[in-house]
Amino acid sequence: MNKTADRIAAAAFLAVGALFMVESLRLSKSAYGSAVGPNVFPFLLGLVLVLLSIKLLFETRSYSDAAGEKPPRQYKKFLIIFIAAVFYAALLETVGYVITTFLFLVIGFQTMEKGALWKSIAIAAGFSLGVYGLYVKLLQGTLPSWPIWFQ
Amino acid sequence: METLSFLLDGFQTALQPHNLLFAFIGVLIGTAVGVLPGIGPMSGVALLIPVTASMTSGLSPEQAAASSIILLAGVYYGAMYGGSTTSILLNTPGESSSVVTTLDGYQMARQGRAGAALAIAAIGSFVAGIVSLIGLVLLAEPLSNVALKFGPAEYFSLMLLGLAAVSGLAGKSMTKAWIMTVFGLLLSTIGLDNVSGVARFTYNISYLYGGLEFLTVAVGLFALGEVFKSILHNEMNEGEIAKIGRVLPTKEDLKESVGPIARGSLLGFFIGVLPGAGATLASFFSYILEKKVSKHPEKFGQGTIAGVAAPESANNGASGGAMIPLLTLGIPGSGTTAILMGALIMYNVQPGPLLFDEHPDVAWGLIASMFIGNVMLLILNMPLVKLFAKIIQTPTKYLLPLIIAISVFGVYAVQVTTFDVFLLLAFGLLGYWLAEHDYPLAPLVLGLVLGPMIENNMRRALTASNGDYLVFFEKPISLVLLMIALLWIAVPFVMKLRGKTVIINEDM
Repeated sequence: MNKTADRIAAAAFLAVGALFMVESLRLSKSAYGSAVGPNVFPFLLGLVLVLLSIKLLFETRSYSDAAGEKPPRQYKKFLIIFIAAVFYAALLETVGYVITTFLFLVIGFQTMEKGALWKSIAIAAGFSLGVYGLYVKLLQGTLPSWPIWFQ
Repeated sequence: METLSFLLDGFQTALQPHNLLFAFIGVLIGTAVGVLPGIGPMSGVALLIPVTASMTSGLSPEQAAASSIILLAGVYYGAMYGGSTTSILLNTPGESSSVVTTLDGYQMARQGRAGAALAIAAIGSFVAGIVSLIGLVLLAEPLSNVALKFGPAEYFSLMLLGLAAVSGLAGKSMTKAWIMTVFGLLLSTIGLDNVSGVARFTYNISYLYGGLEFLTVAVGLFALGEVFKSILHNEMNEGEIAKIGRVLPTKEDLKESVGPIARGSLLGFFIGVLPGAGATLASFFSYILEKKVSKHPEKFGQGTIAGVAAPESANNGASGGAMIPLLTLGIPGSGTTAILMGALIMYNVQPGPLLFDEHPDVAWGLIASMFIGNVMLLILNMPLVKLFAKIIQTPTKYLLPLIIAISVFGVYAVQVTTFDVFLLLAFGLLGYWLAEHDYPLAPLVLGLVLGPMIENNMRRALTASNGDYLVFFEKPISLVLLMIALLWIAVPFVMKLRGKTVIINEDM
């Protein structure tokens, strides 16, 4: 068990619990035809979460400090893919499904492993056009199609 | 006799051509999901909810619900079976319920008996599936009749018991499991309160009025969390795949497996019915049981067929058994059944005792289709085992970005807002971080699904008692349920204090 991580988590959950408690105080205390208002349940849960977080904080004191050697993590790869995914979500509605999906997949494939560019392009194009064709044309679903300045 | 005629009606639903197709697709995708490392039954089912939603969009609501749940359940037990394939061929379990299978399965593969091991796993899964179905048919009516007598107070206590059972067994630290449960319950309070109509914790963000969409949270936590982990930890599928060889088991193999399959199926079924126990524990216990019963316990771990037959039957029996509390009481006992429940609620079908009265098509259709799905699984897997083994070799560099793309598509197709796509990414990060630090994710999802129902029942009970909280202790059934819940938490706690190791469910 990781001492620092659990302390951060306990603090975060403590804050979340406290926030829900404080915020539920601002909710209406009564509901028509009901003895308990919409504030009771979240308030109680917030309280329980606060108590549990304190319990977790106490438990972290007994953790041993043996910090094992951490295996290397692929932060760079992950960051590139994650940022690409954020852009993918942000541009989805303006640039359209097919283009954003295609670009995201090509970036994703190439980040995972460089090389075989044509194969990446073929799979990305196949997936984005395939999903679009199947879902929008065949199943009559809704997806943003092409860039808005195109239409 | 009444049950029998309902079951026949169910078969009529399940045998409709489009439902047969759905069951087939479900089982096929499920097996593939189980075989692929990195996607387990939970993320597989979550990923397919939006796909089924669009496939069934042309049907009437009732039919659409029946068809999608047939497909999703197919994915569930298909994945349970598929997980064994990688255990046997690669020595890496596809999901945690087939960890035990690696002990003897991989040894058998090294001796060139992989085909026999795979076949016995398929046969065992099939028998267990049938056993749990018979149990489901027999228990569904009586259990839901009991549950029909429950008032809001009893229901509240029953759900608390369900949460206690799952949280008590999940993960390495019970404190962490409880934190996740309560966090899930808290998240479920976001949105419009459905008793008073007051907006809670929405901060005027219009997307939040409907509450956090269960699908977005589940796909983010499970599917994206897994993908992020695979990228960060650089998990590539390496390793030699064992040759499969002759697929049909010999007469001797069959003879040796009869006992283990029968015991494994029954044990698995009963463990599955208990909320919180689940498939991993079932496979674990049945392996231990076989080792105790066997005349040659020393053979276990060196490639005996009983060591494959028993746990594989048990984990499928358990996944069938887990459907019972879900369908009859409306209480999911595991992460995957919580996701199935979320899917049913999306179709306005409320699992629980009324399910059999209000939506007999859905309930009995599902039961009948599980029977058909099990037959399909057997027919499909004996000849196609070699093809599925090929799926293992799908390069992760293509698989991981594709799973992200499928998640984004699924969430956008159902919600049609990019807000949910951002939420999806955020929950992916959260899911990775939490799982990395031993915070179990299933209790969170369970809390999110059960939250609204717990709150409603609590408030209805309190309204009836004029706000007197003692009502939960005054009704006898409610009191008993609460006591069991308390015991469920207290017993492992006391055992830990006395220095005993408590077996926990790591897949939760």
